[in-house]
Amino acid sequence: MSTSLATESLPASLLQPAFADPVLDAQRSFRAALKALAGPGVAQSLLATQTPPHLEGLAAASHALCLALLDIDTPLWLAPKFDTQAIRANLTFHCGCPIVSDRQNARFALLDDSQLHDLSGFDLGNDRYPDQSCTLLVQLPSLQGGTQLAWHGPGIESKNHVSLPLQQAFWQEREARNDFPRGIDVFFVAGSELLGLPRSTQVLFKPQPSRGVA
Amino acid sequence: MTATPVSFTASDASAPEQSARQHWIGVLARSRRAELLAHEAALRDADYQLIRAPEIGMTLVRGRMGGSGAPFNVGEMTVTRCVVRLADGRTGFSYLAGRDKAHAELAALADAHLQGARQAHWISDLIDPLARAQDLRRAQQQAETAATKVDFFTLVRGEN
Repeated sequence: MSTSLATESLPASLLQPAFADPVLDAQRSFRAALKALAGPGVAQSLLATQTPPHLEGLAAASHALCLALLDIDTPLWLAPKFDTQAIRANLTFHCGCPIVSDRQNARFALLDDSQLHDLSGFDLGNDRYPDQSCTLLVQLPSLQGGTQLAWHGPGIESKNHVSLPLQQAFWQEREARNDFPRGIDVFFVAGSELLGLPRSTQVLFKPQPSRGVA
Repeated sequence: MTATPVSFTASDASAPEQSARQHWIGVLARSRRAELLAHEAALRDADYQLIRAPEIGMTLVRGRMGGSGAPFNVGEMTVTRCVVRLADGRTGFSYLAGRDKAHAELAALADAHLQGARQAHWISDLIDPLARAQDLRRAQQQAETAATKVDFFTLVRGEN
């Protein structure tokens, strides 16, 4: 510990408290994440009492997911929007996660909607260890308001209708990287809600007025 | 909890400030619960919040044979750590052996107070007496151990 005080200097004044009940709140958030991936397209809500205090730039559910999922073994890649001193200081302090600048080394990535047209570089896992892929946490302004799409696949009885506010480019990027069992799992987060999109989910594009697919 | 060294400094501390802080954090880490409890009222006499509530975990202790050999794992020990923030922004850290949460909170509060304007007061009131008591305990321990020292030597071999 004597040397650790000397190495890097992120101002300690940026630190703020995390979960009020570190064990139970992390478990509740983890449970919500499991349910979100097990039932793709169904939004899960986190209660205000189980989310951590507001951290500038992060939605409540993004913050809770980070605290629940990240530790010293999960390098994190931050989109420029989230690469602030406060977020760096608090996530490295409370989770102990390394923050990497190279997408290839990340096990989790925190993205905003400006990054979704380019998902290159993230680890898709390999055929033997598809679980080693990078999981994306995508913070959106809202989980509604986009074109309605029908999702189907494991965890969905018939079809789930989801209208995430995403551009066509995201779906193309996802499709291009979906080489089952390799692929990318995504959590979409807005406010205190989260919604899972595992690699196994197929998305049906209804015939609709062409919107300039590139 | 896996205890990882996380790098933070209260400010861009220059070397003397840093070694002074290392000294008092070490003294606080070796203090006894009752010694800090005597100062509890003064330590808690400030608005503060818990950045990291006292938590108990394990940390791996490594050593070197004779102080210079190859490093090896001695074993795991229990540690309790805590981080507090005073209302004026000073942040205090503590890492203690054992599983005493109240002790860890008081030690973190002491670290925060020691970074403030009344540093001299806290050093003379809290750290110096603690350090003296620890020196005394160490000297006693060493004296007791020295008293049991056995020097082996050969008196006379039986042949003669």
